[in-house]
Amino acid sequence: MESLITAAARALEAGDPLGALNRVALRNDAPSLALRGIAMAQLGDLAKAKTLLRSAARAFGPREAVARARCVVAEAEIALVSRDLSWPVKALAAARATLQQHGDLANAAHAGHIEARRLLLVGRVDEAERTLAGLGTPPLPPASLAIRELVAAGIAIRRLRTRDARAALGRAARAARLANIPALVAEVGSANLILDTPAARLIAGGNEHPLLLGEVERLATSTALVVDTFHHVVRRQGVAVSLGTRPVLFALARLLAQAWPADVSREMLIAGAFRAKHADESHRARLRVEVGRLRTKLKPLAEISATKQGFVLAPRKTRDILVLARPVEEKHAAVLAFLADGEPWSSSALALALGTSARTVQRALDELARSNKVQSFGHGRARRWMTPPVPGFPTGLLLPTPLLKT
Amino acid sequence: MKRSAAEIVREYGPFAGVEAVHGVTYDGTHVWFASGDKLSAIDPASGKVARSIDVAAHAGTAFDGRHLFQIAEDRIQKIDAATGKVLSTIPAPGGGGDSGLAWAEGSLWVGQYRERKIHQVDPDTGKILRTIESKRFVTGVTWVDGELWHGTWEGEDSDIRRIDPETGKVLEQLDLPSGTMVSGLESDGADRFFCGGGERGNVRAVRRPRRSSR
Repeated sequence: MESLITAAARALEAGDPLGALNRVALRNDAPSLALRGIAMAQLGDLAKAKTLLRSAARAFGPREAVARARCVVAEAEIALVSRDLSWPVKALAAARATLQQHGDLANAAHAGHIEARRLLLVGRVDEAERTLAGLGTPPLPPASLAIRELVAAGIAIRRLRTRDARAALGRAARAARLANIPALVAEVGSANLILDTPAARLIAGGNEHPLLLGEVERLATSTALVVDTFHHVVRRQGVAVSLGTRPVLFALARLLAQAWPADVSREMLIAGAFRAKHADESHRARLRVEVGRLRTKLKPLAEISATKQGFVLAPRKTRDILVLARPVEEKHAAVLAFLADGEPWSSSALALALGTSARTVQRALDELARSNKVQSFGHGRARRWMTPPVPGFPTGLLLPTPLLKT
Repeated sequence: MKRSAAEIVREYGPFAGVEAVHGVTYDGTHVWFASGDKLSAIDPASGKVARSIDVAAHAGTAFDGRHLFQIAEDRIQKIDAATGKVLSTIPAPGGGGDSGLAWAEGSLWVGQYRERKIHQVDPDTGKILRTIESKRFVTGVTWVDGELWHGTWEGEDSDIRRIDPETGKVLEQLDLPSGTMVSGLESDGADRFFCGGGERGNVRAVRRPRRSSR
């Protein structure tokens, strides 16, 4: 390999990005562009890094497939860290195949981890799990091992498999310590916090208390009738009624469940489910219709009876009704939940992750920004959003540094 | 042009603390290799590291009978082989894009990697005396019995080729197995080449073809 490139690559590996830049700052050949890109990424200028890596991938000759693929992987990782989720997934998959073909298994796995992390981030947990499983278990450097276990833990957490999550995080912590990368150790630490921070609220008999993820998991085996506001489902063990597409019916079910064993007045049901301040005759008529629909839906699980002032729920085959709710309920809880990962998000990435329109997300963000619950930086398409208490921007980049050794 | 598969007769290493081999030379007793921050001498019979010199060593290595020459960043260092002291430096012709290095006929021969060139350089001043064009990325250069050989790497493939020093025409080519890299090349003056194994961090001995005309 070339002399200055070797020197610059060694400087990068030794954690001296400025030393690396010094050696290749004025050069525009492919390996220099790649090294400059990685150095800029390590210095936190992700936009510049991305441009440089893209130029490098173009500049490598058609026969330098591995070098080119590594640039694509590095660019994808930068896109992931900067929450640019619209990044072309196909190019990453192609790069992964190239690396696999040429026996660069460590970087191929790294590409796969990036793919899985992206899928996990946008809530495609099944696909993330398949991608991870498809990678097999090649021998990996400790940093890569840590990432693999972090992804596995992320999948387990979304699946409410607390014990699997803890085991994976334990392995991730050991690997991160071996890799000796402080940012990685910290990332595993904050992932651990998720398991020890209330994940939900339990409302029963007019009382409520916070639930850890493990307790939510145990709730799945409970014999009680559960009104689950995460999934918009009413269930008792194996029997589930999904009301995801019927928000009014779900709101009624929840109001009735929260008051149980007491009844709920017509006025309260109308106010809560229809968002109407004053109940008139047409509201009362509509309430009768909707309660009728809910009664039909809930037939296998509960009976709804009329009382003097309203309605009351009577569960079948159980003597308990629980409501499972988000720890903090506010209007834009879902947006905040994504931002709570402490990473900068673009509004389009949030829209993609939430499955809603960019306009809806933008309105939510503007509203949250006015109450200082989120902050933004950058302008136009480069604008990013994050929750305030995050110092700096954690990058967590594990770029394929041996970009140039072949 | 004669073309055949390279016959790897022996592999040395990997060596402790060596991530990659960037240059190789032979002083008649030991095989020297450059590994970033040091030059190490191995005994070709035992494969053991006999001694090493702490010196920046990012690319090609050569030996003129008394001194080691070593490319570091954008210059060529002249090193006293006995003491390990850097005696002088000259600018490298490729300005840092340099790879292989050889000594022959009173000149240094320097490969310029991506430019696919080999420069003949005055070892005292660094002046370029002439330039030979190659077809591939040049990773190592050596002269033996009046033959100019160089290592190549391009598109995941390496070979060792003999070229006409006047025209750059390829006369003979030894192909290494796919994915096997030649980084640094040196002849032992007889029937072996020593080549660096790039990021494998090893050194290989490859048989030099016998010529019936000799």
